[in-house]
Amino acid sequence: MDQFMNRFIIVGGLAVIFAVFGIFFFILVEVMPLFDRAEVTLEKSSPTHLQGAILIGADEWMEHPFIVSKDGSIHFLNTETGSITDAELEKPDHFSVQSWAYHQNDQTLITAGDSGTYILTQILYKPIYAQDGSRKISAQTIAEKANRIAPNDQSILSIDFEAGKTMRTIAAISQSPNDLNHHVTIQTFERKRSLFGAGKFSLSAEEPLDGDFPANPIQLLVGTGGESLIIRLENQTIQYWKKSADAWQLEQSFTPFTSKNEIVSMDFIQGKVSINLTSDEGENIIFSLTPTKKGLQFVQTKSLETLDSGADVYAHSVRNKAFLIANETSISLRYATTEAIRWESSLDTPIVSALIGGKYDKILTLAESGDVRFYNLIDHHPEAGFKAYFSKIWYEGQSEPKFVWQSTGGSDDFEPKLSLIPLIAGSLKGTFYALLFAVPIALMAAVYTSQFLKPELKRIIKPTMEIMASLPSVVLGFLGALRLAPILEQRIPSVILICIAIPAAAIIVGYAWNQFPVNIRVLIPHGLEFVVFFPILCIVSYVAWISGPLFEQFAFTVNDPVTGGSVADFRLWWTDFTGSDFQQRNSLVVGFMMGFAVIPLIFTIAEDALSNVPPTLVAGSLALGASRWQTTARVILPTASAGIFSALMIGLGRAVGETMIVVMATGNTPIMDLNIFSGMRTLSANIAVELPEAPHGATLYRTLFLGALVLFMLTFLVNTVAEVMRNRLRNRYKVIN
Amino acid sequence: MKKDPSKFDFTVRPKGETSVWLTAAGLALGTLMVLGLLGLVFVEGFKVFWPSDVIEVTLKGDSSFAQNGHVIAGTITKKQKKLRGGAEEWQLFLGNKDAYGFGFKYIDHAHIESIQKPLDIVVAERTEYGDAIFYPQKITLNASESVSIDHQDFFKVFENQLQIIDQRRDEIYTIEKVEIGEINRKMELLQQKKKSLDPASLETESILNSLAELQTKYEVLASSAKVLRNQQDLSTLEYQLPTGEERSLSLGNFIRIHRPNQMNVFEKIGHFFAEIYRFLTERPREANTEGGIFPAIFGTFIMTVLMSAAVMPFGVIAAIYLREYASQGALVQATRIAVNNLAGVPSIVFGVFGLGFFVYFLGGSIDQLFFSDRLPTATFGTGGILWASLTLALMTVPVVIVATEEALAAVPRGAREASLACGASKWQTIQRIVLPVSAPGILTGLILAMARGAGEVAPLMLVGVVKLAPSLPIDGLFPFVHFERKFMHLGFHIYDLGFQSPDSEAARPMVFATTLLLIILVIFLNLGAIFLRNHLRKKYTSSSF
Repeated sequence: MDQFMNRFIIVGGLAVIFAVFGIFFFILVEVMPLFDRAEVTLEKSSPTHLQGAILIGADEWMEHPFIVSKDGSIHFLNTETGSITDAELEKPDHFSVQSWAYHQNDQTLITAGDSGTYILTQILYKPIYAQDGSRKISAQTIAEKANRIAPNDQSILSIDFEAGKTMRTIAAISQSPNDLNHHVTIQTFERKRSLFGAGKFSLSAEEPLDGDFPANPIQLLVGTGGESLIIRLENQTIQYWKKSADAWQLEQSFTPFTSKNEIVSMDFIQGKVSINLTSDEGENIIFSLTPTKKGLQFVQTKSLETLDSGADVYAHSVRNKAFLIANETSISLRYATTEAIRWESSLDTPIVSALIGGKYDKILTLAESGDVRFYNLIDHHPEAGFKAYFSKIWYEGQSEPKFVWQSTGGSDDFEPKLSLIPLIAGSLKGTFYALLFAVPIALMAAVYTSQFLKPELKRIIKPTMEIMASLPSVVLGFLGALRLAPILEQRIPSVILICIAIPAAAIIVGYAWNQFPVNIRVLIPHGLEFVVFFPILCIVSYVAWISGPLFEQFAFTVNDPVTGGSVADFRLWWTDFTGSDFQQRNSLVVGFMMGFAVIPLIFTIAEDALSNVPPTLVAGSLALGASRWQTTARVILPTASAGIFSALMIGLGRAVGETMIVVMATGNTPIMDLNIFSGMRTLSANIAVELPEAPHGATLYRTLFLGALVLFMLTFLVNTVAEVMRNRLRNRYKVIN
Repeated sequence: MKKDPSKFDFTVRPKGETSVWLTAAGLALGTLMVLGLLGLVFVEGFKVFWPSDVIEVTLKGDSSFAQNGHVIAGTITKKQKKLRGGAEEWQLFLGNKDAYGFGFKYIDHAHIESIQKPLDIVVAERTEYGDAIFYPQKITLNASESVSIDHQDFFKVFENQLQIIDQRRDEIYTIEKVEIGEINRKMELLQQKKKSLDPASLETESILNSLAELQTKYEVLASSAKVLRNQQDLSTLEYQLPTGEERSLSLGNFIRIHRPNQMNVFEKIGHFFAEIYRFLTERPREANTEGGIFPAIFGTFIMTVLMSAAVMPFGVIAAIYLREYASQGALVQATRIAVNNLAGVPSIVFGVFGLGFFVYFLGGSIDQLFFSDRLPTATFGTGGILWASLTLALMTVPVVIVATEEALAAVPRGAREASLACGASKWQTIQRIVLPVSAPGILTGLILAMARGAGEVAPLMLVGVVKLAPSLPIDGLFPFVHFERKFMHLGFHIYDLGFQSPDSEAARPMVFATTLLLIILVIFLNLGAIFLRNHLRKKYTSSSF
């Protein structure tokens, strides 16, 4: 029995200790996948022997891809059998594809020929479920008859479109063999939708783009809503045209490559806010629409690693900001937001077209010989990475690189902004204000309790402060947010007065009392001074509170632009004077309420440290004639300084990790500033608020685990330092004793 | 003038006394903060239960509440000075949310023409739209007999009817929630079984028979419930609002009534305690803004019990190992430091671990192994009381380990040595000498752990607490303790009421009352631990062998 218990206890004890450390390892394991690179493996290769293949497209399950040939015909590839089925297509004879545009989101394809015509084809993919639950994708093409966008003799160099529910815009650049000039034509289609369904698209406008082009346009892209055009010219510049009130205007003209290198490719990244450019020297940069003084303009926001030459093949993911570029010899999968290369490899045969699967799980490549290669793509967290979490990133739509936390948005085009820096800054800000408020009170109370308080009263005072420690933080947060914040909002001047009045009153009362002769001073015996302050502090606070509005009238007036008179309102004055915000739920409220949580902790540990100073030291100092304060200040405090430091560290650790108070009493806005009257979002509050909604295993889920890991390590570090200091102190006392 | 050294210099003062007083102010401030906060919670919390008088206010002609002579009635909930100008304004609770569209109203003190306290105004608690404040006019029983307010037994009849209605309401609840609930559960189990069987087999046939039987039972119960519900609506009350509007409502909507302006102090005290009792034992209504918080109390209690059951053995065993069995070297010292540190790790980190490991990993595996037929609806793969208790147990294990270690260390060495000298083995010594002596210290640790667990909300938000749980974790259906059920918790209830409530003004009383209860609970536990600790210290500081 004895042996069994011995073994049981040993095993049990070790198990518990391991379990406790297992927490760290578990969280670490959940976080590791964030920093993986993409894994791309060749699944299979299907030779098709199609002549003149130029483009590959596919459904989102990548089970029924199609290949477009130079003559405009579309062939469907059955991935299981490898057979090719030709699609029914009505195309004019001798149609030779000069340019094309394929939009994966809505499976629409436009192929344009050399006689001024183009064909718009819709590819309908429908999943068909068999009895046993297996699924086949059926494919069908719906092609409209060829449309003319340019005269018969003109060949279409570049074509692009934007299709919506009721409108469609198609733009093309055409050139006739005789004419040196290139022409840009824009067609707008509309259709009516009614209760009976959608009607047919009918041409509503066709206009040439009249502009003095300094050089011939050679490629164009149609922007969102068909309201903008991005045109690449022969002289390595790009023009950005915008449609306002039915008229096209040149908004911006820029040269992307400062080195005046040749632009080899220009393509949209998902969202149509950024364009990816490669030069003949292999430079790869990204320009995004950025708010500037002149309005939304294209600004270079990113630059990625260079290739060895420009990209011939480009594909972008429709799920995120990833894109694939390839030239004759290499292929790489890159992510725009983090300027990272997710995967790269060399190519043994040059490819003419590539596609990233709709679910971001497969890659298809099409070689000139017609060979189709299927690759498996495993990249669960493309938007993650050290850069995403800890450095400034120039997100789409921002005017400069910033630290931003904005994890979810309304559409697929949304770019998740996962910087942890605003959250860490928020945690530090909350801690700073909490300690600013808590440390003076806690330390003063600890010094008084351990040194000057009547020893019999310690039995009452210590439990009272420990009760403060047991207040659930939910209660503190609730009182702070719903009771304190609304009152404080109106009465900041009163608060300022109280902060000044209380220490002033304490000092004045202390000094004044001390001047009295000793037969008066004995009326308040040593150890009971604090009782006097109960009524004094109440009265002083009350007076300061009442005088707040008067103070406000004097000091915090602001000129009201509406009435012209001066208004006494601290909030307006603050925004006016400092230029920063004033929020109702701000750091002042949080600091005060967190004080309730932190003060008792610092108090208990500091008091412990101060009380355990060997009494021989105290007695020696007093015997040498020092007054009680001199003893405290010059002998006891320095001796116990390690303990006090340890108390501060533990208080800091607690403040950093506090969750409920922050969730309730701040605005939970992830901003980065030191303004005492604005809110913050801390790491802990962020986890509490976002984790319940995060899908298991997704990037956000693991990112929140990373936040928890950072928090864990921070508090562990702080607490270890505190423990080490405390142990050192204990040993020091042993030596002294 | 040179000072005469033989004379005492009466102007000398000990140096630094001002600083001493400054520190005294610090202590006073800290103490005031605690007492102030506790006082605030106590006053606001108890105020909720006291039946306040209803005042009837006649407003001057130009007030904004324009209905029939500008008369409104309600209880005063707040008196404050206006933000601009300092004029005094009152907030009244008017009730009758179904009639007015709102329950609370601010009125300027300056707009009041006269105030009265009508004796016969009635405050009634209802099942919907909160309380009503009105003058009753007539009760029509069963669509035939009517009793008017002038009848001397009107209120006796009223209260009698309310009692009958209350009993019927309990009956309906028993039928619907308990009996029909059990039938539903049985049917669900049978459906599950049927899914995995061959449709033509004999077993399936017997299952289908049982299902049909249960269906008939259900129909009988449902119709009897329907009959009772109809009976609830047979009697109606006609009443007049203080604004003059006349309304009528079936008696089934009313729960209880009282006439505050008529009650004397003793009746009010009685009502006060009755309200507290109801608060502690009833279920919540109307999105948690009315009714009681019994499920939250029960959930918190069960979770604390489960947590203690999990933390005690593991914490104590780990502490015994660290102190008695492990060789006291640097490794053990480092382990001790690390375990101490874990007490300081934010609770949300434990919540994150609980979600990732317990809920998704363990719970997901259990679902795959034992409940795969219910997938994708998660049974254990989602938050529940078991995972919440385990998460909190993990969080409080360091507290128990530290407290137990201290208690074990306080056992005098002499006692241990004496036991070993008498021939006892190590385990016998621990079992019969060390543990009993340190039992109170271990108990202290347990109480501290319970106090900490009861107050933590952040990790629970991630692992299984909900705003409104459909059923309690323990009930009469086998297996009686349902570990996978979600539960309600006092702390989370506060958060939910304060921040996720559809009517925050109506929720305010509930929040304060719940806060009061939670604080009383936590303080009680902490004071108990402190008392125990002090008691121990006295008992053992003097003993020596």
